[in-house]
Amino acid sequence: MQSPVLVLKDSLTRESGSKVHHANIQASKAVADIIRTTLGPRSMLKMLLDAQGGIVVTNDGNSILRELDIAHPAAKSMIELSRTQDEEVGDGTTSVIVLAGEMLHVAEAFIDKKYHPTVICRAYNKALEDALAVLDKISMSIDVNDRSMMLSLVKSCIGTKFTSQFGDLIADLALDATTTVGVDLGQGIREVDIKKYIKVEKIPGGQLEDSKVLKGVMFNKDVVVPGKMKRKIVNPRIILLDCPLEYKKGENQTNAELVREEDWAVLLKMEEEYIENLCVQILKFKPDLVITEKGLSDLACHYFSKAGVSAIRRLRKTDNNRIAKACGAVIVNRPDELQESDIGTGAGLFEVKKIGDEFFSFIVDCKDPKACTVLLRGASKDLLNEVERNLQDAMSVARNILKHPKLVPGGGATELTWPYEAAAVAFEAIPRTLAQNCGVNHANGENAWTGIDGNSGEIADMKELKIWDAYNVKAQTFKTAIEAACMLLRIDDIVSGIKKRQAPGSNQPSKPTIETEGDADNEQMIPE
Amino acid sequence: MALGSQPLDILGDRQSGQDVRTQNITACQSVANIVKTSLGPVGLDKMLVDDIGDVTITNDGATILKMLDVEHPAAKVLVELAELQDREVGDGTTSVVIVAAELLKRANDLVKNKIHPTSVISGYRLAMREACKYVEEKLAIKVDKLGKDSLVNCAKTSMSSKLLSGDSDFFANMVVDAVQAVKMTNARGEIKYPIKGINILKAHGKSAKESYLLKGYALNTGRAAQGMPLKVSPARIACLDFNLQKTKMQLGVQVLVSDPRELEKIRQREADMTKERIEKILKAGANVVLTTKGIDDMALKYFVEAGAIAVRRVRKEDLRHVAKATGATAVSTFADMEGEETFDSSFLGYADEVVEERIADDDVILIKGTKTSSAVSVILRGANDFMLDEMDRALHDALCIVKRTLESNSVVAGGGAVEAALSVYLEYLATTLGSREQLAIAEFAESLLIIPKVLAVNAAKDATDLVAKLRAYHHTAQTKADKKHLSNMGLDLVNGKVRNNLEAGVIEPAMSKVKILQFATEAAITILRIDDMIKLAKDESQDGQD
Repeated sequence: MQSPVLVLKDSLTRESGSKVHHANIQASKAVADIIRTTLGPRSMLKMLLDAQGGIVVTNDGNSILRELDIAHPAAKSMIELSRTQDEEVGDGTTSVIVLAGEMLHVAEAFIDKKYHPTVICRAYNKALEDALAVLDKISMSIDVNDRSMMLSLVKSCIGTKFTSQFGDLIADLALDATTTVGVDLGQGIREVDIKKYIKVEKIPGGQLEDSKVLKGVMFNKDVVVPGKMKRKIVNPRIILLDCPLEYKKGENQTNAELVREEDWAVLLKMEEEYIENLCVQILKFKPDLVITEKGLSDLACHYFSKAGVSAIRRLRKTDNNRIAKACGAVIVNRPDELQESDIGTGAGLFEVKKIGDEFFSFIVDCKDPKACTVLLRGASKDLLNEVERNLQDAMSVARNILKHPKLVPGGGATELTWPYEAAAVAFEAIPRTLAQNCGVNHANGENAWTGIDGNSGEIADMKELKIWDAYNVKAQTFKTAIEAACMLLRIDDIVSGIKKRQAPGSNQPSKPTIETEGDADNEQMIPE
Repeated sequence: MALGSQPLDILGDRQSGQDVRTQNITACQSVANIVKTSLGPVGLDKMLVDDIGDVTITNDGATILKMLDVEHPAAKVLVELAELQDREVGDGTTSVVIVAAELLKRANDLVKNKIHPTSVISGYRLAMREACKYVEEKLAIKVDKLGKDSLVNCAKTSMSSKLLSGDSDFFANMVVDAVQAVKMTNARGEIKYPIKGINILKAHGKSAKESYLLKGYALNTGRAAQGMPLKVSPARIACLDFNLQKTKMQLGVQVLVSDPRELEKIRQREADMTKERIEKILKAGANVVLTTKGIDDMALKYFVEAGAIAVRRVRKEDLRHVAKATGATAVSTFADMEGEETFDSSFLGYADEVVEERIADDDVILIKGTKTSSAVSVILRGANDFMLDEMDRALHDALCIVKRTLESNSVVAGGGAVEAALSVYLEYLATTLGSREQLAIAEFAESLLIIPKVLAVNAAKDATDLVAKLRAYHHTAQTKADKKHLSNMGLDLVNGKVRNNLEAGVIEPAMSKVKILQFATEAAITILRIDDMIKLAKDESQDGQD
């Protein structure tokens, strides 16, 4: 007699074989289809409504996918790609998805023809190697100091974005910002830390044209006592602190038992003296501006305003770091250890301005700022958010070029120069999508410099049009897309619904996975 | 069903005899079937999704089975078997499960033909012993004869079934370099390869090929303050295991002061004590300070001023490795015998350079050119996290294999060569025995062929044909003295041919094969011995029965 044997929990669903291949490919294609229309200069935006009712209007691949709640595991892995791309090079998030989706789509035909997935993977890997070699061949070095060249490059990168009509402006902003914070490490290596030293501040109102890169930093704070402290100081001496200027209790648990009445007064007095002491020490250096990350007691305010020193409190650590970078100050923790060298004198102007309804402090006209703020103005918050995303992309591109001054033709030209059949078809996805998005039929070019002009839909020489892509963005796109495609192709079994740790109980499953002895022994001898 | 007409007074189900055996074996069979398709260079991966939607993509037998949450008790034995193999050898987890399941299947057939399980068991035991002996004496080849290439080839064979197969040349060399870098000789003169000293760091971005090996150690944390230098060289490293925050008394200690002015002094002292400590460290010459605990903002400034890199919240394990690699002593307190606090410069470790680098979006502290250099780091790059996780697992397997090869110092040809040779040998052995075990040994021989069979089936090749050819070669090798070299014939799965796998560079450590045989047999025997299964019912069913 044959009784059913339960091996796995009934909550597990298991799929295997070619069904999995198809399901994975379908899911990946679906993801690619979502953002396909956001590629190229004639692309459209997506509007996303999240659960809280917030709106995101964007055409940045990563931002779109991040908001989507996707269940299929393969699709999830696709979304990760876009994130990787964003973190690594900051741009090309849409291309990578479209390319990976297409790679899988092309592979589907081969799987149908009974090609083994590992064979396809091997071929893809080979194609990737050759692709990178070709990329090396057609790439050209540029002079990072040639501003017009850099501008055209950044411009073609953000040509796809919402802000393309303000292309020059955004490109200018991005270039200015990145050159400001670029640090020469020697040996020709330039480090540009966008995350830490460039801050993008968005203030709704005004026009996009009013946006600018400040030669210094700006933050959303006012002086502590608006009436008494100066709001405009030329050539300020700045002291940065990260300690509170108020009485702080000790770390140890201390109990004071007072017997005499006078002692109480002494205790209170000591606290006051402590603050006074701090202030005196600070004032010895004749600062014009004192900024602290922590609190500032009323008493300290009083001393400062009496001495004609402006003070700002509760600044964010990151902002404080940026100010330190911009004006050359060192952040000090103990006022009694202040030194002349800790004082920042690099700033040309401190000013508090009222924009809209809020006060903003500017520390600008710095001599050699190594940090900066990009001030964005625009009609609405949603619009500003999108502009910020575009700017981030543009800055990443600018950074990439500064780090690897190499570029390749854009507009799908690079993708059209492949030797491998299957991979080539997939690579064509980019130019094809570009062409589709601007409403023309796609065509194939011969010259390595031939690409598609996304605005007119004509085939043109990218060299003349000055449409470029950064080399390492392209290289990263190919690598990520192909490796991910290979990974998904190699899967032939999906088991879902695994519990992290099974809860005891429910030992009689309702509908078990039944495997009889006959099924279990399904080893097939496949003849050629 | 198995309960007789007279229900015994057992609370629950009872199954016995052939029923339970068949059931157990079917369960094992289906476990093996799950992992079967991931065996070999053309095996494919599995995607596992848990109930919160986290995805794991893997080809590693042990990982698959661990994640699967297998319910059947007999099947669980197999899952544990895979884990055991993973711990002991690190690779071959899929093979061991497949062999065990096949042994069981064959045993069940024998038992159905009225051969007592104990005879089967003793036959299997004998066969296993003979097989191990044969592998060690006849098939194993010393590594010294083959040189470094053999290590690379071992790593490549281990990786061939994994995601990394495309770049196996690249990774195999990396793995061998890594293992050789951590080579050390212990007090008794034994050479050890502590692969735990190889730190694997995952950073997504770029491509798999841009992974690299780093002499020295990588810490996955940034430096504590922006003002610190990005690079110091040569570095003198202090490893601390205590707080550099304001000094705080142990829990529950209260300080009572009668004079309020004392209060101020306590506060002052708190800050000063930490300052003094830091000064001591700096005075000893340290310019890199690693601590497992926190560093106060206040304290950071001293390091910034001294141009030293301070790193806080380093993982304790990392700190130990760094201390080992640089020759530093991890210090947990400054107190010395005299009740004073001192920091001696002999506690410091040395490295050529300590730098902070940006890998993907993370800051990483790299300690390069460590003095004793028994630590290396592998920085993995790849398309996304799932891929990195799988690369990590594949690399770990390869590391283990290289380590085993170095330790056991002998290798065998892969691609089904050993299994085919053993099968031919055991079959011959069976015919020389006149006892009951003969049949069991013959079946054992037959079951070993499952490995080349599955390999061929996964590659969509004609398994029957290939296995027959393979056996023919091995038969000649064992019967004709001048054809000895044929014993290395194995499968070439890409072309679907039989070739000399030793020359083709498909090799595995002999120890891995021996362990596979031992573990699989032991597991099969454990399951085979069961002839009765009682599943106790839950308490609530107690009332119903009465």
